[in-house]
Amino acid sequence: MPGVVAAGPPPILPKVSACDGDRRVPTAACSTPRKPPVSESSFLERNQFLIYRLFSLSGLIPVGAFLVVHLLTNASVLGGAASFQSRVDMIHSLGPLLVPVEVAFIFLPLAFHAAVGFLIVANGLPNVGSYPYVGNVRYTLQRVTGMIAAAFIVWHVLQLHWLGTPVGGGQFDPHYASSSAAVAIRPLWVTALYAVGVLSVVFHFANGLWTLGITWGIWTSPAAMRRANAVSVVVGLVLAAAGLGALGGLRTLDVDQARATERWMEEQREQRLPPSGETSTVQPTSTTGKGE
Amino acid sequence: MIKAAEHLDHESGNGHGQAPEVHPVRVRILRQDVAGGESYWERYEVPHEPNMNVISVLQKIAALARTRDGRRVAPVAWDCSCLEEVCGSCTMLINGRTRMACSALVDKLLAEDPVEIEIRPMSKFPVVRDLVVDRRRLFRSLERVKAWVPVDDSYDHGPGPRISPEQQQDAYPLAECISCGCCLEACPQFTKIELSRGDAESEADFEARRRQAFDANFVGPHAISQAMLFNAHPTGGMIADERLEALTSKGGIQMCGNAQNCVAVCPKRIPLTRSIARAGRAATVWAIKKLFDR
Repeated sequence: MPGVVAAGPPPILPKVSACDGDRRVPTAACSTPRKPPVSESSFLERNQFLIYRLFSLSGLIPVGAFLVVHLLTNASVLGGAASFQSRVDMIHSLGPLLVPVEVAFIFLPLAFHAAVGFLIVANGLPNVGSYPYVGNVRYTLQRVTGMIAAAFIVWHVLQLHWLGTPVGGGQFDPHYASSSAAVAIRPLWVTALYAVGVLSVVFHFANGLWTLGITWGIWTSPAAMRRANAVSVVVGLVLAAAGLGALGGLRTLDVDQARATERWMEEQREQRLPPSGETSTVQPTSTTGKGE
Repeated sequence: MIKAAEHLDHESGNGHGQAPEVHPVRVRILRQDVAGGESYWERYEVPHEPNMNVISVLQKIAALARTRDGRRVAPVAWDCSCLEEVCGSCTMLINGRTRMACSALVDKLLAEDPVEIEIRPMSKFPVVRDLVVDRRRLFRSLERVKAWVPVDDSYDHGPGPRISPEQQQDAYPLAECISCGCCLEACPQFTKIELSRGDAESEADFEARRRQAFDANFVGPHAISQAMLFNAHPTGGMIADERLEALTSKGGIQMCGNAQNCVAVCPKRIPLTRSIARAGRAATVWAIKKLFDR
């Protein structure tokens, strides 16, 4: 260590193997053969560290970042149908680029995160019954909410995204964002499942944010972990409020009025006329089919 | 093994001829005769004494060698040595939780469950017999991360680098590890590996196969913490890269699931999660170095 090195010469370690000479190192390290006839390790095994770190990162970027944008965008429905519609229009202004962007930055990272997540869940042995500590409860909940999130997201995408059209889903119409979403979640059981799904996803993200900081060594001391935990709790509460707020906003939406607003906005776009009033920044969107 | 029921034909019950304790201590123990064999419960009852610990209960059971219903049985086998929570050899599952039998006081256990004390062997290591388990994987993990200062030779290196008091204070808690295995027992990411030797398999081949199984799975919090202890040591840190290489290989630090049970059950209160987070940071830097410095 610089600064505390004593006057004496630095120790020079001769290049000897731990198995030569004095055998005060544990002898099992020196048993023969040095490299036992091991079976070839797979690509996954050799790159386990890298894969798990990419798994951890993918939970934050891009999956977590997308989640934050998604939930905050949805919450804009609380500002009225026009407010939500203008944000949806902004996303769909990507036009033909939307599908590649969705695949590259949402679907593939999400599928990777889910695949490694299933592997992690399968290899763990939750023991919250014997050790009911807060951290252990969170460890277990992280896995439970991850599984719920995976099932919920598959259902959610099929129900609303145009990908689900062949199986009777695809109910979200980006030109009629609020009204089509409100109709889709109208049944009470659908809203209830959405509430469970959203809260699971939000817990998984907020708790994952905290564990990510430990995994990457961003917060290391118990005090730093407590502070980071407080931040994670706030992030979780804000996102939970946004997610549940969006559900509440959709449930209390006047669908007919929203549809009228959306039709008017669509006409404005089709006439390629700059819409008047507060939605003047809305860009005309491509009409190449429905996106998310 | 005298397992067959041998009921006493005289002096049924406790026949000590002295006034029995008002509240004898009742214990149930999960026993197993041989490695890989079937396990079974047996119940015992010993007179209560002030300040008893689980080891003294086990000693009385060994002296008695009788179950509660009077059957004569082989004494329960268990490991212990120092009886002061330093040697780390008497770890058991007591009332469902991993702890040292020597520091598990009977009166406190009875406060948890006044009816009976439950004792089981550790569940993450293969049982050798009764409460004795084979913890060689724990020590193999320490070998994997080279948890030592590599100065084993016959040369005089002169005085080593000085360690500042701050560094000493930081390192000392990590040096208190007694290799008891409580952190491994409570860790949901550390799962049992129990192999048995094949009929045609030589002892050396079996050992190699077992070594391979150990090395492919999670090293555990104790080894991560020891790696951080020796990496922080001026001389031990000379092979810091080798330890980080071990910690980022298969079964390394990435297997940690952040349940933080390790730090909650550690009898020596070692800041294991701090070590894990520090190892995570060192592994991050190490991985970047490996990627761009070669």
